[in-house]
Amino acid sequence: MIETHHLSKLYSRGLYALQDLSLTVEKGEFVFLTGPSGAGKSTLLRLLLAQDRPTEGELFVNGHDLTSLSRGDIQEYRRGIGFIFQDFKLIPTRTVFENVAFVLEVLGVAPGQQRRRAFQVLKWVGLQHRINAYPRDLSGGEQQRIAIARALVNDPALVLADEPTGNLDPDLSLEIMNLLREVNAGGTTVVVATHDRELIRLVGRRTITLESGRVVEVT
Amino acid sequence: MRAIDYALRHAWASFWRSGTSTAFAVLAIALAAMVLGTLLLVTWNVDRVMAQWTDATEFSIFLRDDATSEQRGAVETAIDQSGVSDRREYVSKTQALTRFRTQFADLASLTDDFDDNPFPASVEVRVRPDAARTGRADTLVRSLAVMPGVADVRYDREWLTRMSTGLDAIRRAGFALALLMAFAAAVTVAAVVRLGLHARTDEIEIMKLVGSPVSFIRGPFVAEGLLQGGLGAFIAIGLLWAGFAAVRAWWGGDLSALLDGAAIQFLPVRLVGLLIAGAMSVGAAGGFAASRHAA
Repeated sequence: MIETHHLSKLYSRGLYALQDLSLTVEKGEFVFLTGPSGAGKSTLLRLLLAQDRPTEGELFVNGHDLTSLSRGDIQEYRRGIGFIFQDFKLIPTRTVFENVAFVLEVLGVAPGQQRRRAFQVLKWVGLQHRINAYPRDLSGGEQQRIAIARALVNDPALVLADEPTGNLDPDLSLEIMNLLREVNAGGTTVVVATHDRELIRLVGRRTITLESGRVVEVT
Repeated sequence: MRAIDYALRHAWASFWRSGTSTAFAVLAIALAAMVLGTLLLVTWNVDRVMAQWTDATEFSIFLRDDATSEQRGAVETAIDQSGVSDRREYVSKTQALTRFRTQFADLASLTDDFDDNPFPASVEVRVRPDAARTGRADTLVRSLAVMPGVADVRYDREWLTRMSTGLDAIRRAGFALALLMAFAAAVTVAAVVRLGLHARTDEIEIMKLVGSPVSFIRGPFVAEGLLQGGLGAFIAIGLLWAGFAAVRAWWGGDLSALLDGAAIQFLPVRLVGLLIAGAMSVGAAGGFAASRHAA
């Protein structure tokens, strides 16, 4: 699913955010990316989301060469990816239902299908009773579950999560991780960047540790 | 179709959400459309009257008092053979005097003291509209002026040409002003749309991350400019119509006399449509320019 060969990302001040990174994530795998702040976890996720381009090396995701995608190709590529952020990135002026259905709307899915699918994923994350609420009315855990529902609504092959439990207490963090494990059980590849060692230990999946932009450990 | 539907729905919502700034953009477009509309209204009416005058042009060949009937016949033959004339009429010296006395009754007594009738005989020619437009009438007038027995030929098209040239200059200056105002309106629309864009930064970022097509991202902003342009144009046309109705009510009679009996008219549907389309294009261009930061 993900393949990098000697991947590097150099920032303008001459600092490497990632350096000579070579790794593989198989289809259907659940992988943690961990390391201290500034290790390169978020940079790698930005490259995987095609928000940035690598400076050197090769990066393939689901058959797409991310080093040479055009703007139109990037949009098409992202349609096959779900993303989850620490700050949820929900639209405050839209209801829970609209936040989820919105993804399908902008992808041109028919209105009836939008409603069915959005309700289905909201039911799956256990928030079907809050469809008319606004993000400000929800707890952090609920907001993150909405973000997960939004990430899954278009049935992506890959889910990228950047510190998805960073704003949550340990119980809610585990709840979110269990949801992601369920997503993975359905065949979706999941990559989670986190520095929460305890959570990694509890979930117990392959872990790639980065430090100063390099892979220092794979367990 | 879904992209258009999405763009229009969101543009409509944004249109009402940002009331004050939208009002400024609409006002700017309405002002530009008013300037252009007024210019079109005036020039269209003047053009219409000028076309009417061009279609009704006449010239008179004044004959010398000693012109023979053969010379008059030659003049009339030349007119008939040219194909320029719609109708011609011979006015004798006596008829010319009678006409003067009828048309200028106040001055009629002056002619009582004349020893001789000073009015020359003439041939009056009504020019066919196509001959006036193509310049064939001018050629005929030049050839008639040098024929034996002809004292003078009066073909008053020069003032029409001068008026047409003046009107062209006014039109060019007006269009330049309207273009400048349209540019200012587009910049205003772009500024307003950009405000809306900042308010929706999160939404746009998410749209990009989920792989939304560019048409969905930029479409609402272009549609918002389009709506602002359309509303601005409708306001401008409404005000223009009100102004036109007021002018017609107060000075319609005077203007009609000035325009040789022709009543002033409001812009035809074609020009109104063009004005609306132009204003909408200006708005859409502003929205398009502003939204380039979004995609």
